[in-house]
Amino acid sequence: MEDMLFYDRMQFAFTITFHYLFPQLTMGLSLMIVYFKWKFLRTQIEKYNDAAKFWMKIFALNFAMGVVTGIPMEFQFGTNWAKFSELTGGIIGQTLAMEGMFSFFLESSFLGLFLFGEKLLGHKLHFLTGFLVFLGSWASGYLIIATHSWMQYPVGYEILENGKFVLTHFGALFSNPWLLPSYLHNQAASLVTSSFVVAAIGAFYLLNNKHNEFGKLFVKTGVVFGLISSLIVAFPTGDWAAKNVAKHQPVTFAAMEGIFETEDGGSEIVLIGQPNMLEKKLDNKIAVPNILSFLTYQEWDAEIKGLNEFDPKDYPTNVPGLYYAYHIMVGLGTIFIGLMLLAAVQLFRKKLYKTKWILWSIMFMLPFPYIANTTGWYTAELGRQPWLVYNLLRTADGASPTVSAGNTLFTLLGFIGLYLLLGLLFLMLAGKIINKGPQLNQH
Amino acid sequence: MTATLISLLSVFIGIIAANLTGYFKKKFSFGSTGNTLIGVFGSILFIKSFGRLGFDPLRIMYNGTFHTSLFIINAIVSALGGVFGLILAKFIYRKMNP
Repeated sequence: MEDMLFYDRMQFAFTITFHYLFPQLTMGLSLMIVYFKWKFLRTQIEKYNDAAKFWMKIFALNFAMGVVTGIPMEFQFGTNWAKFSELTGGIIGQTLAMEGMFSFFLESSFLGLFLFGEKLLGHKLHFLTGFLVFLGSWASGYLIIATHSWMQYPVGYEILENGKFVLTHFGALFSNPWLLPSYLHNQAASLVTSSFVVAAIGAFYLLNNKHNEFGKLFVKTGVVFGLISSLIVAFPTGDWAAKNVAKHQPVTFAAMEGIFETEDGGSEIVLIGQPNMLEKKLDNKIAVPNILSFLTYQEWDAEIKGLNEFDPKDYPTNVPGLYYAYHIMVGLGTIFIGLMLLAAVQLFRKKLYKTKWILWSIMFMLPFPYIANTTGWYTAELGRQPWLVYNLLRTADGASPTVSAGNTLFTLLGFIGLYLLLGLLFLMLAGKIINKGPQLNQH
Repeated sequence: MTATLISLLSVFIGIIAANLTGYFKKKFSFGSTGNTLIGVFGSILFIKSFGRLGFDPLRIMYNGTFHTSLFIINAIVSALGGVFGLILAKFIYRKMNP
C-alpha cells in the first residue's frame, strides 16, 4: 500500500509538474497579446500587430502541449485516484467539467479565429477574438483553482452515510475564502513567467543584433509587465495567501516557515536554514526576529504556533520538502523584483538596451519563473498533505486500492519517455519560431 | 493504467501523420509547427469521437489484457485524425483568407 501510494503520488506530481509548464505561460501571455493588439488598435503602428501575431504562435504551441499533457491528468483521477473520484466526484466534477466545457472550448475556438481570421474579421473583431482567448485561459485557471481551493478549504458540502461528498451550496464553491487570494496570486505569478519569457526573447534578439526593433519592444514590455506582476505576486496576493494558510492551516504555516517551537514574544522570519527532523530544529539558520509575527498579524509580539503544538500525524508528510519549496519560491520572487527594478531604472534612463549585463541576466533568468511557479504549487500541495481534502479525507484513503505499484511505475516510466520526446519537440518548434522571429508587416 | 499511455501515443501518431501529410502534400502544409498543432487536435477529435465505437484506450486494455487489433485500429484512426485535421484546417483557412 505504501509503495502504491508513493508511485501514485510520484506519477501525479510528475505529470502535473510537466503539464503546468505550459498553462503558466499561456495564461500570462494571453494578457500580453491582448495588450499588443490593443496598442496596435490605438496607434496603428504595425509592429504591435506583428508582435501579437508572433506571440500567438508561441501561445498556440504552448496551448497544444498543455492539451496533450492535460489528457493523462483526467485519466489519473479514474485510474490512480478512483476512491477520491468516487467520494468527491459530485463536487470537484462540477468545476472540472465547467473548465472543459466553458473555458477550454472558449479558448480553443477563438484561438483558431485569432490565428486564421484576421483578414476576414478585421482588426477590431480580431482584437475581440484575442480578448476571448485571454478570457478563456483565465477562466480555465479560475475553475481549476476553485477545485484546488475546495480541497484546501472544503465548503458547501455534506457527507452522506456512504462517505460520499455532495454539494449543498453551489455558490460556496466560488465564494470560498481560499479561492480569490490563491487565484490572484497564481495569475500574477503566471504573468511573471510570461513577462520574463517576453523580455528574455527580446534580450536574446538585442544581444544577437537581430530583429532589433522587436527586441526593444519585447524587453520594454517584458520589464514593465514583469516589475508590476513581481510586485503583485509578493504584495498583496502572496501576503493574503500566506495569511490564509496561517488562519486555516496553522500546522502547514509552521512547517513552511520552519517554526518547530512556539516562541515567546513574537516569531522570527527564517531566511536560510536546514530542517533537522530528528532533533526538530533548523540547522545553520539565519533569521530576523519578530518579522514573521508582524507580517502575519501586524503585531511584533503576536504568537505563531510551532510544530510542537500539533499532533505529528497531522504534520505535512514532507516538512523539509515543503520548507524548501516555499523558501525557493519566496527567494526567487525577491530576486525577480530586484532584477526587474534595476531593468526598469535603466529603461527610465534610456540605457537598458545598451546595458548588456542586465540583458544577459534577463535572458538567463528565463527558467527561474518556471521554477518559482512550480515550487509555489509544491508549497500548496505538500502543505495540504497528509490530506486530499483538508481535515476530511486522507491521501492514503483516496488512492485506487486495486492498481499495483508495479503498474503505476511502468506507466510513470512511459510518461517520462513520452514527455521527454514531447519536450524535445516543443523546444525544437519553439526554437524555430523564435529564430525566425516576428515578421514586419506580415499578412 | 496503460490506457493513459495509449491515449498519449494516439496523439503522437496524429502529430506524425499530420507532419508526413504536410511533407508529402505541400499544399496542405502549415509548416512543422502548424502541422504539429493540427495533428494534436485532429487525433484527439477523432479518438474522442470514434473511439467509443469500441477502440478507445480503455477498451484496448479491457480486463488488463492488451488487445493488439484494437490498438492498430486506434492508431489508424489517430493518423486519419491528423490527416483529415490538416485538410479541414486548410479548407477553413482558405475560406477565411480568400
